[in-house]
Order: sequence, then structure tokens, then C-alpha cells
Amino acid sequence: MTNWPAPLTIIINEFKECFDRMERYELLFEYAEKLPHELQTEKWTEENRVKGCQSEAHVECKLDGNGGFQIHGAADANLVQGLIAILAIGVDGLLPSQVACLSPNFVDEMDVKASLTPSRANGFLNMFEMIRNTAANMSEGA
Amino acid sequence: MTDTRVEIQLSLRDTMDDARMKAIRSDFPILTRTMDGGRPLVYLDNAATTQKPRQVIEAMNSYYENTNSNVHRAVHTLAGEATEGYENARTEIAAYFGAPRDHLIFTSGTTEAINLVAYGWARANLSKGDVIVTTEMEHHADIVPWQILSKERGIEIRYIPLERDTLTLDMDAFEMAVSDANLVCVVHTSNVLGVRNDIEKIIQLSKSKGNGGKGAFVMIDAAQAAPHERINFLEMNCDFLALSSHKMGGPTGIGGLFVRPEIMETMDPFITGGDMIETVTLEGSTFQKGPQKFEAGTPRIAEAFGWHAAVEWLSPFDMKEVHEHISNLARETAAKMSTIPGIKIYGRHDLESCSGVVSFLHEKIHAEDLAHLLDSGGFAVRTGHHCAQPLMEALGVSSTARISFWIYNTKEEANSFVEHLTNIVKRFG
Repeated sequence: MTNWPAPLTIIINEFKECFDRMERYELLFEYAEKLPHELQTEKWTEENRVKGCQSEAHVECKLDGNGGFQIHGAADANLVQGLIAILAIGVDGLLPSQVACLSPNFVDEMDVKASLTPSRANGFLNMFEMIRNTAANMSEGA
Repeated sequence: MTDTRVEIQLSLRDTMDDARMKAIRSDFPILTRTMDGGRPLVYLDNAATTQKPRQVIEAMNSYYENTNSNVHRAVHTLAGEATEGYENARTEIAAYFGAPRDHLIFTSGTTEAINLVAYGWARANLSKGDVIVTTEMEHHADIVPWQILSKERGIEIRYIPLERDTLTLDMDAFEMAVSDANLVCVVHTSNVLGVRNDIEKIIQLSKSKGNGGKGAFVMIDAAQAAPHERINFLEMNCDFLALSSHKMGGPTGIGGLFVRPEIMETMDPFITGGDMIETVTLEGSTFQKGPQKFEAGTPRIAEAFGWHAAVEWLSPFDMKEVHEHISNLARETAAKMSTIPGIKIYGRHDLESCSGVVSFLHEKIHAEDLAHLLDSGGFAVRTGHHCAQPLMEALGVSSTARISFWIYNTKEEANSFVEHLTNIVKRFG
């Protein structure tokens, strides 16, 4: 069993308690409203667009004043935005080196991946890879 | 948490009685499949591809189990049987569409059929300054080949707009545009709006007024029409008719282009080699005559067997009755959906000619989210731009969700779809 960051563990457990797929979707919709750092649509660019995602999703990684990792993102579809929000909450304030080591398996733990279409699952993995690479670069530059 | 059950009284007219519908559905093994949570599959993505009756599946299995061989060349028994079956399929499929066998070129589907018109006929017969008229309503497959040709040859493309209030083609604009058109390319039935264009009038105007009164050539994209109505190529009086097997119960990977032989003779081969060759020397090559000239490589033999079985399966049906069943489901489902708060319907389901397609959006729930939420209830629906981005632009949207009915869909399925959608909107809207 992987050791997830504490906020992510809480979210994973929350999803594990869901009764069915509809409840998991409902929870994802709720998280879509809880983006810690929403990327306003006017800041959506080709550079920060998540490739391979059928809906529009945009993500940027930044460091806060203490060197903590931040994900700024948003999507036009709530299920995608919910996934961005969970990731953003889960890694918020971690060191980039910690984010770079994170595994995307938490979506399996949440039993969410099975509810995603292959294109959406690929879009999520692309996004995750992009975030992890950025974190690795930030970590090397630190 | 459990589903909030809502009471919805639907009064869908059912032109197919229960026993008949049960018999139809029993031919489709996939319709007995259960989905997530043991829910029955409700397949509402028929405009993308229909399910296949067991007769089609058995015909293809039987071909591979008993007959598999390459066609036209070898003298052994299997090759003879495969050739006979393949060519018999051509005869029977062509007959289903009211044409002799030498009018049907097998292609991979509608897209390749339209590209064959562009690369095989238009390149050989159109030149700089010529005019192609098409519409805003087209599938990308009936836009992109003309754009490429236009760029290569300096051919002008005129797009007939959609009347924004009626969601039908602007026929006044068509009449003006067609006067000096050399080729007219129009979709028979929209895969987004469910609107059936006035194809008869479009062909009549193209022939009487096109090309300065000499008559324009006409290509009809009938991919969405073939599952709904019995099309007669010769009676239709167009020059090219493109369609796909998989949208009418047949397998994927095969479709056809209907062309009269005298026009076929003016076409150059599009893809070369294999079955389309007559002789090859180092100095040059000669090609087969007729449809075979355009069927390069090893043809789609098993698929031809399967498509043949599909038209045999469809043949006993009165397609007017089938159309009525499908359009009634679409019309009355669209009417019920339009009463769900936040749902907007895109299409003209008040028209008798409407197909089984209902495109829709919710003001707050993204189309892709809707599709996921509907899928959780066992409902297979489509989302996206449906390969019709210019039409999406005309509608002022980037994508829609879409349900589409076919012959085996029931009023109970339509009712449960509306019920599930209502629940989704209550919960997520």
C-alpha cells in the first residue's frame, strides 16, 4: 500500500465509502467546486492545455512563497475539474521532490479510474505526467 | 444514497407491437447484455453504429469457418465459393438500393466513398474555376476532401448555410449557388439534427439549373439515411451515392459508392494494386473494368458477406413503418426531454421526416459529464462535435450530447432514458 500525502488519503477514504458509481461522480462534482487555485478561463492557453483530454482542461504548476507546490487548473467538464481539484488539494504545499515521486494509482484506490472512459483516463494520466515532470524540474532547479 | 425515482408519464406511440419488437430484439445478442450494477444496456448510439443481428455475425463466422479464401484469382474450391459469395453480395446489396451490380463499388465506408468521388472523379473531371456546392450541415468527410481539392486545383467551394431559425438548409441560397456549380455534395440526413434534407428538390434543381442549365453532378451522403428509408439509387437520379454498412446493421469496414457505369468510366483509380490490376509490365499497367477498378488490394470479403446478410435481414421490413417507429421515438422523447429544466434540444423533431437523432445540451452539466452519468445507468449515448464542426459553429456550440434510436429501441427504453436524465439533472444540475 502506497503512503499518500495526508489530504489525499482523506479523499481516497471518502471515495472508498461511496455506494456506487453515481455517488463517486457526485463526489467528483463536489470536488470540482473546491479547486484550491482556479485557473481563470482567460489564462487558458495552448501551453497549459492538457493533451489527450476530450474536454478542455488546463493546468499550471507554481511554487508558493515557502517553496510549496501548487496546481492551478480548471476544466469545462466537472468530472475532469474534480480530478484536477483532488490532485491539487492532495499535493498542495508539498515539496516538488515529493510530488515528483507520487504515483497516479490513487485513482485506482478511489475506484474512479474504472468509471472513466479510456480517453478521459488517458487525459488524466497525461495531466499527471505533466505535473510530475514539472515537479521534477522544479526539484532539480531548487 | 439511492436514485430519486420520479414519476414520468410518457405516451410514446408504439408502431411496433410488443411481440414483434421482442422478435426483432431477439436477433441482437448484445441487447441482452447487462451493464454496471446489473442494469440493462440501453443502446442509443445508433447514428454512430448500429448493433448487428446474429444473422450478420453468423454469416461472417460461417465465411471464416467454411469459405475463407481470397477472391477472383485462384481456381480452388474455396476461392470459387468466396468469389461467388462476394460477387453475390454485390448483386444483392445493389438490388436492395435499386441498382444493377455493376453500379456498386465496395469501399471501406462512406468516408472512403466520398474520397473516391474527390480523388477518382473530381480530379479527373474538374479544373480551376469550377464550382463545388456543399453545405454547413455536412460531416467532415464531405468537407475536407473538397477543401484539399480546392487548394490543389483552385476549385471554388460554396457552402449553403443553415437557416438558424428552422435548422434546415437555406434553399434560396442553394438555388442561387447551384446555377454555375459543377458538383453538388449534400448530406441526405443530418447526423446531428436529425433533419432530412429535401434531397429530391436538391437533385432536381442541380440537374435542371446547375452548370448553367447543363446540369451539375450530384453526390449524396446517405450514411444516416440508409438505416431509415429504402433508397433507390436509380430513381433518386443522383450521380454518386455514398453509404456505410455498419449504420444499417452490417459490419464495420465496408460501405459503397453507387455510380453509373458511364460515369465510372471517367474516373481514375484512387488506390492502386492488387485486385484492381489487369496487367502490369515495367512500362505500364492496365486496370480492371467496372467496380473492380476501384477495389485495390484484397477486398473486404467477410464484410461483404456480413453486409449482404444485413440487407437480407432488413429486406422484409416496410422501411416506412421502421422510419415511423424510429422518428416517433425521437419526436416524443425530444418533447419530453425539452420539459426537463435546463435541457435544450437541437433539431427539428416536429418534422415527419426527422430521423432517430436527438442532440441536446444541459445549461450546467457538460455534455461529456452527461454521457458519463448516463452511462452509469446503462445508457450508451454519444458526445462531441460528431465530425460536424462547421455545423456546431452554426449552432453556437462546441459539442452536443446525442441519442439516436433504431429499429430495436422501445418506448420503454425511451421512457427509462428520460427518467434517468431527469434524475441526473435533479442531482447534478
